[in-house]
Amino acid sequence: MSVATVYRSGLRAGRDGFAQLVRAEWTKFRTVRGWVIAMTAASLIIVALGLSYASGNRSTCGQGPVEVACPAPPVGPDGEAVTDGFFFVHRPLPAEGGITVRLTSLTGIITYPPPDHDKIVPGLVPWAKAGIIVKENTRPGSAYAALMVTAGHGVRMQYDYTHDIAGRPGRVSAASPRWLRLTRTGDTLTGYESADGRQWAKVGTARLDGLAATVRIGFFVTSPSDLTVKRSDLGGTIEQARFTQATGVFDHVSVQGTAPGEWSGGNVGNAGTTDWERHHQATGVQESGGTFTVTGHGDIAPQTDGQPIERPLTGVLIGLIVMVVVAVTSMTAEYRRGLIRTTLLADPRRGRTLAAKAVVIGAVSFAAGLAAAAVAVLAGRPILQANGNYVLPVSTFTEVRVIAGTGVLAALAAVFALALGTLFRRAVAAVITAIALIVVPYILATASVLPDGAAQWLLRLTPAAGFAIQQSIPEYAHVLGHYVPAAGYFPLAPWAGLAVLSAYTALALGLAVVLLRRRDG
Amino acid sequence: MEATIEVAGLRKRFGQITALDGMSFTVTPGQVTGFVGPNGAGKSTTMRVILGLDSADEGHALVGGRPYRSLRRPLSHVGALLDAGALQPSRTARDHLLWLAHSQGLGAGRVGEVIEQVGLGSAARRRAGGFSLGMRQRLGIAAALLGDPPVLMLDEPFNGLDPEGIVWMRGFLRSLAAEGRAVLVSSHLMSELQDTAGHLVVAGRGRVVADAAVADLIAAASGGRIALRTPARAEAMTALAGAGATVAATGPDALTVSGLAAERVVSLLNARAVPFSEVAAHRATLEEAHMDLTRDVAEFRAATGREAAR
Amino acid sequence: MKRELHAEWTKLRTMSGSGRLPLAAVLTVVLTVALSAAASAAVTCPAIGCDQDPVRLSLTGVHLGQAAVAMLAVLAIGGEYGTGMIRTTFTAMPRRAVALSAKAAVLAGGTLAVGTVAVLGSVLAGRLILPGGGFVPAHGFPPLSPADGPTLRAALGSVLYLVLVALLSLGVAAAVRDAAAAIGTVLGLLYVFPLVILMVSDPAWQLRLWQVSPLNAGLAIQSTTPLPLSPGAGLAVVAAWAAAALLTGGLLLRLRDA
Repeated sequence: MSVATVYRSGLRAGRDGFAQLVRAEWTKFRTVRGWVIAMTAASLIIVALGLSYASGNRSTCGQGPVEVACPAPPVGPDGEAVTDGFFFVHRPLPAEGGITVRLTSLTGIITYPPPDHDKIVPGLVPWAKAGIIVKENTRPGSAYAALMVTAGHGVRMQYDYTHDIAGRPGRVSAASPRWLRLTRTGDTLTGYESADGRQWAKVGTARLDGLAATVRIGFFVTSPSDLTVKRSDLGGTIEQARFTQATGVFDHVSVQGTAPGEWSGGNVGNAGTTDWERHHQATGVQESGGTFTVTGHGDIAPQTDGQPIERPLTGVLIGLIVMVVVAVTSMTAEYRRGLIRTTLLADPRRGRTLAAKAVVIGAVSFAAGLAAAAVAVLAGRPILQANGNYVLPVSTFTEVRVIAGTGVLAALAAVFALALGTLFRRAVAAVITAIALIVVPYILATASVLPDGAAQWLLRLTPAAGFAIQQSIPEYAHVLGHYVPAAGYFPLAPWAGLAVLSAYTALALGLAVVLLRRRDG
Repeated sequence: MEATIEVAGLRKRFGQITALDGMSFTVTPGQVTGFVGPNGAGKSTTMRVILGLDSADEGHALVGGRPYRSLRRPLSHVGALLDAGALQPSRTARDHLLWLAHSQGLGAGRVGEVIEQVGLGSAARRRAGGFSLGMRQRLGIAAALLGDPPVLMLDEPFNGLDPEGIVWMRGFLRSLAAEGRAVLVSSHLMSELQDTAGHLVVAGRGRVVADAAVADLIAAASGGRIALRTPARAEAMTALAGAGATVAATGPDALTVSGLAAERVVSLLNARAVPFSEVAAHRATLEEAHMDLTRDVAEFRAATGREAAR
Repeated sequence: MKRELHAEWTKLRTMSGSGRLPLAAVLTVVLTVALSAAASAAVTCPAIGCDQDPVRLSLTGVHLGQAAVAMLAVLAIGGEYGTGMIRTTFTAMPRRAVALSAKAAVLAGGTLAVGTVAVLGSVLAGRLILPGGGFVPAHGFPPLSPADGPTLRAALGSVLYLVLVALLSLGVAAAVRDAAAAIGTVLGLLYVFPLVILMVSDPAWQLRLWQVSPLNAGLAIQSTTPLPLSPGAGLAVVAAWAAAALLTGGLLLRLRDA
């Protein structure tokens, strides 16, 4: 037997680390032109659909015979769009002080209720409200804190449009009146309620930072529109708002502290009047011996009519299908060609290898999703606005969350698909499963195929819950609305939804690692 | 690190089929070791177990004294060519090597070196999907050499090569071994290993049938016979038989001599002035030696594809 | 054609040994019935009435079952491209258009059988579950029965819809060749249309898109209330899609090297 000198390599040893593995997988990905093209195409599809949506969507408001640009709604202290319309009986409050009233009645009317579409019936919508308020000024959108009795939700303390604190439940009537008191100390407002005017219970406090020294104090009545939702034959829903009006009766009105002048009444917001009002009692106030009867309509609440910033992102769904196909193929192609063995030879630590693959496909999808979402949202908004659409304002943080979240959504979906590709080793089965779990539930839920309840459960339980990260306008419990997936409202909070998708992805990836380790290559 | 492959007592079953049944052998550095046997003998499975791709039910396989799965930057320990067709068709040859290089912390420079080494320079930037089988084999060899490993393991590297390619491959394997590397080459055709392998491991039915130096195997198969061509047949028979050899006439002027070395035959005939035109050691081919060894596992010879199935 | 049919049937029946055909068939039935049952269970109809269509509700599962049907169809030809078996097929059956037609015929037959089971299962589930949610005769909802004209039409139409989806998928797979890309294309075509419709604000365009969307137009047959497209016309739209896909696939098969 020949005993030769054992071979010594002159090659300098390369570094051994996860970074090298990731780099190898990145090289692998970028050197297949079809994948790079498909990922770019996925991005472009998202952008193209988003911008065509934005440019194809026009909105005008009819004012008599002419179509004009719709007036933009006021913006509240926190930057959100608000609706601020009510009948306000007020006087200035130049310093600290408060107001106490007794509310003995809250009644109202609703127009055109089903099934008889030609009648006006007495009734109240649940969030019809009457109460006392401290408001910076009478300009719509200014800061306020209010204590009120609602038709269906008892006593509430609300401030700055988005905040709502529950008090004692129950309706108001002559037999069971409600005493309400609201006091100002500096920037702090405190609300109290009482059944008899002697024993007071605190409802809540609100801090209105930077509240002007002189504010308006008084009492108000308002009643938001009722909502009728109909299914559209073409998918989606048709929402109809119906005019309502509420009337509250106040007595035992007293102001604590120095509040000079007389009570003056007027509408806040609500410039226009409907046809209906020409023939019926208008909003206003009537005083008779210290008893004030106030009638009003409108709402003091955040407003959600308009285009949320994420609306141009619907194309993400199509982009995701492409990304899922690429992610699955990047794994199953290795199985199909036997290349997986070469990969496993290059690093026999299989968990790391799969992790490196996940990092690369996740990063690529993240970048593609992020770039596309950024363009669609940021370029879509001015186009929408130029077409007369009102784009609901959101904070910068929310905007970043929607855009970056779309990137994360794409990354998670791609990694999920990659894991399925590893589990199944077959492209068709993996693509079907990924699309059936991520894309189909979203479509079933939003394209109004399913009843709303089923749609909400789908978006809680399936990986499609991750789309919640794109929702920019939250659901407000104190505003009547059609909060369903079809209207862009997800049953889970944005991060919770993303967590569901993450959990699915982690589970699939974990299973894939276990199987990859156990299986013969 | 030692440049060796050690396989000890490997057993593996795929359902009803016993793929490995106590496979044991050692591959030493400095020579090409042929790993031969009929299809289905367990050659590819053994290689996959050595490379940590498949796990054996029993036994162990070590490369340089360590299991493959414990190696860091494994391509600098072992280079392997398993399936030359295992390529993403749309990737170029160079890019295929590049990702492999990156996985070992190596750069593009090393890729260029191995491409030149296997003579693929002109095709490096073409899509691997359009490569002939021969070019794919060269690309596979390049991948195996990427980490400049002391151990090489090639599964059927002669497949699909044209005669010129076979000659190149033989020379290339010999030169790699001459550098002190351990080179294990599997083949189901013995003739391909002729003049290449210094040592043979013959597999059959999942175990080792023979494990010996090629020279010994051929000598055994040849049985030390010498072919002699002479116009003076009778004198030659007398002279050689008198020296203790067994002589048989195989033709009017041809004899087969056994029991004497060729040099001895020549000196005996010269001493007696017996004329002869040719003395040749009858050298069995490697093929014949292989047939001798695997006669008892002949029923596997007809079986095809079982190896490829896994 | 008879020989081709027989060969294709054998192939479909024995697909890859790992039982992917039965798997796809079982998946079709399970997904369809499961989603139908879930949708039926999720809806309640109070005494004052509701604008739900119980027949359509009980057939909701077709939305999901079609994915499994598409998978079966794509595998029927995409799998052959993946393994290179397509060359064997075309060597054995050199008339490629005939080979594709045979494949289509066998696939249609298989989908018809599986689809019937799935749709009947859904109707049965609806019949059992819906009354629990208030869909009772007292509210104007008699129990679902296939003997009822509109219900029968909706059920039959859903089965036909599944068959057409299978043919559409086969055509796309023949044209695209890569199985993963084919399934992505088919599912994109089926599922994305309804969403694009919601994105468009112009009602005229909405209607136009709705009328060409295979899913929306095709499943108009499930509705027992009038829609912008008659049920028959809706199925014709899907049939047109399937025919276009098959023609494209067949043409490319003839023109391209296998």
